[in-house]
Amino acid sequence: MKRHIFATAAILLASFATARAETVLNIGMAAADIGQIDPHRATTTQDKPVVSWIFNGLVRFKPGSASLETLEPDLATSWDKSADGKTWIFHLRSGVKFHGDWGEMTAEDVVYSLKRAADGKTSAFAPDYAVVESIEAVDPVTVKIVLKKPIPALLGLVANYHGGNIVSKKAAEALGADFRTKPVGTGPFQIVEYKSNESLTLISNPNYFRGKPKIDKIVYRFIPADASRDLAFSSGELDIVYGRQDQRWVERFSKEPGTVVEVVKPSELATLYLNEGMKPLDDKRVRQAIAYAIDRPQIAGFKGAATAVPAVSVVPTGYLGTDEKAKLFPNDIAKAKALLTEAGYPNGVAIKVIQTSLPTMLNSMQIVQSQLKKAGIDLQFEVVDHQSFHSQIRKDLSGAVYYSAARFPVADVYLRQFFHSDSIVGKPTAVTNFSHCAVADAEIDAAAIEGDAAKQKELWKTAQAKIIEDVCAVPLFEQLQVWARKTTVDYGYTFEGAIHLGPVITEATTKK
Amino acid sequence: MTAAAPPAPQPRRRLSVLGKALRNVGLVLGAVIVVAMIAAALGAPWIAPYDPDAQDVLLVLGTPDSVHWFGTDAFGRDVLSRVLWGARVSLYVGFVATAAGVVIGTVIGVISGYYGGIVDRLVVAATDVLLSFPQLIMGLLLVAVLGASLTNLIIAIAVTAVPAFIRMARGSTLAMRERDFVDACRSLGFSDFRIMFVHVLPNILDELVVMASLWLASAIRTESTLAFIGLSVPPPTATWGGIVREGFDNLLDGPWLALFPSLAILAVMIGLNMIGDGLRDASDPRAPQ
Repeated sequence: MKRHIFATAAILLASFATARAETVLNIGMAAADIGQIDPHRATTTQDKPVVSWIFNGLVRFKPGSASLETLEPDLATSWDKSADGKTWIFHLRSGVKFHGDWGEMTAEDVVYSLKRAADGKTSAFAPDYAVVESIEAVDPVTVKIVLKKPIPALLGLVANYHGGNIVSKKAAEALGADFRTKPVGTGPFQIVEYKSNESLTLISNPNYFRGKPKIDKIVYRFIPADASRDLAFSSGELDIVYGRQDQRWVERFSKEPGTVVEVVKPSELATLYLNEGMKPLDDKRVRQAIAYAIDRPQIAGFKGAATAVPAVSVVPTGYLGTDEKAKLFPNDIAKAKALLTEAGYPNGVAIKVIQTSLPTMLNSMQIVQSQLKKAGIDLQFEVVDHQSFHSQIRKDLSGAVYYSAARFPVADVYLRQFFHSDSIVGKPTAVTNFSHCAVADAEIDAAAIEGDAAKQKELWKTAQAKIIEDVCAVPLFEQLQVWARKTTVDYGYTFEGAIHLGPVITEATTKK
Repeated sequence: MTAAAPPAPQPRRRLSVLGKALRNVGLVLGAVIVVAMIAAALGAPWIAPYDPDAQDVLLVLGTPDSVHWFGTDAFGRDVLSRVLWGARVSLYVGFVATAAGVVIGTVIGVISGYYGGIVDRLVVAATDVLLSFPQLIMGLLLVAVLGASLTNLIIAIAVTAVPAFIRMARGSTLAMRERDFVDACRSLGFSDFRIMFVHVLPNILDELVVMASLWLASAIRTESTLAFIGLSVPPPTATWGGIVREGFDNLLDGPWLALFPSLAILAVMIGLNMIGDGLRDASDPRAPQ
């Protein structure tokens, strides 16, 4: 005990001695650990905000926004496109430095990064770039991208999101596998320390091209237990906290003095993907029975009107191409039971489900489990930790997969990753097609290269209808993002949307 | 002592243990608590007021009242019903795992102690290794490796109990082996099996029962702890540790969620320890009459 006191005193003295206290932003995240912070592989909620602090794209989503309409210059200062929409020239900002001693960012890094993002071996987003014919450096500050066909949102592919993040070529090549936890970018913050299952520490990038950040250090802490994280925030240990996506949480923390709760876009669409490659789900009638047994408004009700709404389609609402009035199955238990009987399961069916122990997801799935039970469908959970969950569902081990996701706000991306046969889990080109869905490939492919916006929308609409009719998946509800901060923190912008699922900490962010 | 009636002293002593036991207030009280809990668990299908898994969106985190005595949880499920049903899993795991540990441990321990030699030395070495792991760590390891299910949970907890009972049974058998009545049995030509399990075993049973009652408490606690960290029977099945865990996630919105199952665990712990202490006092020949 005595030793403990001495140690504490010594640390206190030392911290006084270093004069001006540094501004440290403590952020609490609902995860046990980081997944991947290699920007071209980071797909989970806990990874994405970090990526947004470290990297830039050629263009960026305006901080605080999740809308394609707000794209603004980032590493590129301007761009031109050819009349046929296939050739794009980007003019880069000069004098931008990578973190540490990794030198200046040039067209070569941009070409390397985009090619890396397009390569399935180094990127989780390679299919997004299949439409790219060539990428080349015209000179150190000019990049030319040629497309096979014009696409709806090319700027999305070069934005500070997923594959569009620009990495240091030298660093990525030198660090190899270590790049996963020590990525090097041009953004306002750089990684200094990673403690597995504990925290990630970032310090400000003094050479950031928009100016040195006012925050000196970010400590990103992994606190998976909701109650512990909430207590850490209430006690002032955390300045910013990943909020619980539930009504009571929002109500309670909104009342806490000195706290601002922000409910922001994009919504993540929670969907139950049904594995058509497994018995008894290979029978369409069983899948239809599940669709009829789901009560969407009730699930949204449990989640609370402040943060959740029933799903409208198999693509999240508000995306370019979403069918906002898709014909989803209504809740009808009698019909569900009749379909099961017809399929030869009068006594119901049991379905093995790999399920994460992450409370938010496990709780939602328990509601689904309870609803399906009424129709005689028994979801048998095998509860595993969140990382095992992600790896096992990608090995095609689960009968049904509960997955909640937001993607780039164009229907093509969501449809392609979750419902195109190229994306079926287990295939070399796999993304997240957990259901083995293959009924809408033709429409998805045709829409991607359709030049006429109205025809393109029609194709996307047909694709959604086919997927819903075949019950590849049952969309459940859409969940907005919830974050809370102390009033001492000012992001430097209005926080209305977070394409990165968390607040972007910029050079202008301050803490009093 | 003649060779004719070797096991004669046993019945009289056992009767007096029972007599002493009944006069021990703590033991009787402990037994009442535990029996009541077992009755509640067995009777859960009839006495639980609601379906423990039935969700109600309109009753999320309801405070305890006359309709839901223990309140409702984050899914609007009746906590009282879940605690009652949870008792079934928690007590079942505790009893079956302890029983398995006692039977396996005792058989190995008696054989090892009775025969001695190389087998005994190997058993002792293995036991020492296993006992060097704390019970919870061992259980955690096994469940993590085997996967969380009812059977695996029982296996894991039983495995943690086995070495303790081996050591106990072996030690007692070693002492009994030198006693005159064992020699007498041998001279009568009884088989080793008969001597071990018909004559030696009844004489070490008192100690085993005392220890079993204490281990039972420990097994139930281990199950609850494993459930608390998410390594137990998967949802929606209620277990005490699982309910505490879910309650913990909503500690600020509904403290009663964690409180009631915790009290149930506490009551069983106290009851079983009172029984264990009482039995030990009653079976201790040096204890005051």
